[in-house]
Amino acid sequence: MDRREFLKISLAGSGLFFCPVMSGLQDGLFSATPVYSSTMSKVEARYYAKLPDREIRCDLCPRYCQLGDKERGFCGVRENQGGRYYTLVYGKVASLNVDPIEKKPFFHFLPGSETFSIATAGCNFSCKFCQNWEISQMRPEQVRNINLPPQVVVATAIEYRCPVVAYTYTEPVVFFEFMYDTCVLARRNGLKNAVVTAGFINPEPLEDLLKVVDAIKVDLKAFNQKFYTNYVKGELKPVLETIRRIVRAGAWLEIVYLVIPSLNDDPNEIKQMSRWLKQEIGPDYPIHFSRFHPMYLIKNLPPTPISTLEKLREIALAEGLNYVYVGNVPGHPGENTYCPKCGKLVIERYGYTIKKKELSKGQCRHCGQTIAGVWS
Amino acid sequence: MVIVTAAQPIPDITRPEPRLILAMLKKGLELLIDNLKAEEVLRSLFRPGEKIGLKINTIGRRALSTRPETAVTLGLWLAQTVSREENIIIWDRTEEELKEAGYKLSTSSSSLRIMATDTRTIGYRRDPTVNRNIGSLFSRIQSELVEASISLAILKDHGLAGVTAGMKNYFGAIHNPNKYHDSNCDPYVAELFETDYIRKKHRLTILDALVVQYHRGPSFNPRWAENYQKLVFSLDPVAADTVGWKIIEELRARKGLPPLQEEKREPRYLLTAERLGLGQARLENIEIIETEV
Repeated sequence: MDRREFLKISLAGSGLFFCPVMSGLQDGLFSATPVYSSTMSKVEARYYAKLPDREIRCDLCPRYCQLGDKERGFCGVRENQGGRYYTLVYGKVASLNVDPIEKKPFFHFLPGSETFSIATAGCNFSCKFCQNWEISQMRPEQVRNINLPPQVVVATAIEYRCPVVAYTYTEPVVFFEFMYDTCVLARRNGLKNAVVTAGFINPEPLEDLLKVVDAIKVDLKAFNQKFYTNYVKGELKPVLETIRRIVRAGAWLEIVYLVIPSLNDDPNEIKQMSRWLKQEIGPDYPIHFSRFHPMYLIKNLPPTPISTLEKLREIALAEGLNYVYVGNVPGHPGENTYCPKCGKLVIERYGYTIKKKELSKGQCRHCGQTIAGVWS
Repeated sequence: MVIVTAAQPIPDITRPEPRLILAMLKKGLELLIDNLKAEEVLRSLFRPGEKIGLKINTIGRRALSTRPETAVTLGLWLAQTVSREENIIIWDRTEEELKEAGYKLSTSSSSLRIMATDTRTIGYRRDPTVNRNIGSLFSRIQSELVEASISLAILKDHGLAGVTAGMKNYFGAIHNPNKYHDSNCDPYVAELFETDYIRKKHRLTILDALVVQYHRGPSFNPRWAENYQKLVFSLDPVAADTVGWKIIEELRARKGLPPLQEEKREPRYLLTAERLGLGQARLENIEIIETEV
C-alpha cells in the first residue's frame, strides 16, 4: 500500500481529519510518531491599524475588531501582543485531506481533480449549524495542529499529485497570511488555488487574494440580514460585495446555499436571491442547494427534505440560472450538469464521483454549447 | 453587599500581605449576613467537604490579575473552615496565564489545587452547552470538578463590555469567549451566567479591587489604574458588578473622564441579567456596607 492509498483509506468517510497520518510528511517520510505542534505561531498579521495605548484595529474583515493588549479577535486566531497584531495559525494546520474537488463543492472547476485541502482553527462567523465546528469554533490551542508551512503544503500537494490546493473546512479568511503565501508559492509551482469561504472579508484583502486565487466557493448562508444576525453573527451585505468582486476579478465562482428547514428555505427569498445573482453576476455561475443535517447548536431540526431542495432548484432554474444543483444527496439527478441549451446531460455524477462526461473542450458534445467553467 | 478597604496604604499592591487579606476577607464575610461570624457565613454557603472552585482572572499578568495572595489566602481559609485543601481549586484558562500572574501550579491531590483548563487531562467538555444565544464548551473544572463556585474577579474597565467583574469572569470558563463580545457583550454575559454550570454553582462574588483599571481596560494600563485597596463582597452576582460599575464611574469622574454611557459602552448586560432574574442591577435596590480594616 502506498502513502496515497493509506491516506485515502485513513480518511474515508471522516470528512475531517485531525492529522496523525500526515505528520510525517514534513520530512517526506511517514513517521510512526506524529509530530504535533502545541505552540501557536507568532507571525505579524496584515491589514491592521495601530491605535493609541497599544490597541489595534483589525481590518481584515468587516468586524473591525478593536483589541487591547492580549486580546483576540472574534475569530480567536489573531491576537494583539503589546500593540502588534499576530496571526497565531500561520502554518498551523488543524485539518488536512486529499479530497475530490467535487467535495468542496466545485462542479465547474477542473472536475475530477484532487485537492490538497487544508484548514487551521478559527472562523469569523459563529454559525449555529456549523458542520465543522470542532475546528472552526475553536482556538488554535484547543485543537491539534501540525506545523505545515507554505513550502511543505506545496511540496506535499505536488508529491500527492494534487493539481489544486484548497483552503477550506473552517474559514480561510482568518488564516489569510498563511493562505496568501501558500497561494503565491502554489502558483509558482504550477498549482491552482481554490478557496472555500463565507465571503466575510474586507475589499482590500479580498482584492489582494484575488490576484493569486483561481476559484472561490462562497457559502451564502441566506438572503436576509435577520438570518445572518440570528444564526451566523455576521452581515449579508459584505458577502454580496465579495461575490461581485470575485466575478469582476475573473476568478471562478460557485455558490453553496445550505438549506435549513424553516430557517432559510422561503421560496420567495430564493426567488429574490436568484434574481439578484442573475442581475449582478449573470446566469452562469453554479449554485448548489445543499442538504442540512442537524449539527452543533441546531439539533432540533430534521435534515432538509429532498423535496424542498428540488423545489428551490426549480425556482432558481425558472429565474434563469443555468447551473443549479442539489447537494449532499448522492445519486440525485440534481447533481448532474445539464446543457442549458439542449437540456441534455453533460456531466453525470454520483456524490463526488464523475460517472460520465459529455463535454469536449468546455462544450456540450450534443449541441456544441459552451458550458461555463474552468475545464482544463 | 460589602466593601472593605485597607485602612493603611499597602506598600506593594502587587504583593499584599496575606494577613491583611485574610482580615479583609473575614471582615467582608462577617458583614455579608447579619448575625453570623465570617466562618459561619462560609459554612452557610458551602457544604462540608464540598468541592469549591475559585474562578480567578489572570489575563492581566502580575499587575492586574486576581492576586495569588488573595486567592490562596481565601482557598486555605475555605479549606480550614468548610472543606479540605484538595477540594479547593483555584483556576483559570491557561497555565501560562496563571504563572504570569504569579501562581505556582499545583495538581497535587493532597493540597490546594491551582490549575487551568489547559492543564493536562482537564480540557473542555465535548458537547456544547446551549442557553439562548450561548453555545459553548465548558471547562471541565467548572462543569465537572467543582460543586460550588466563587467568582474571585478583578474589577476593570472593558473596551467592549464597559465593565468586567464577577459575571464576565466566567467567560474564562468557556472555549469561545471571543464570540461573545458584540453589542457590549450583551446579552452574552448574562446568558452565560444563566447556564446551569454557573448559576447553580455560583455562591459568592468577591471582587479584587486592590487595583482598579478604570479606563483603557481590560489590559493593564498604569496611566489609568488606581491603587484602590478594596475588596468587594456580594451574594448577588449582578449587584456585585453593578457596584463595580459605580466604582469605575466614580474613578472616571474623579479623573475627568466621561461616563461609560457617553462612550456607548455602559454594561447593558447588567439589566439583562436582572431581567433574567439573576440579581439586582439598580443601585437604589442594593444595600452597600462600607468598612475598613
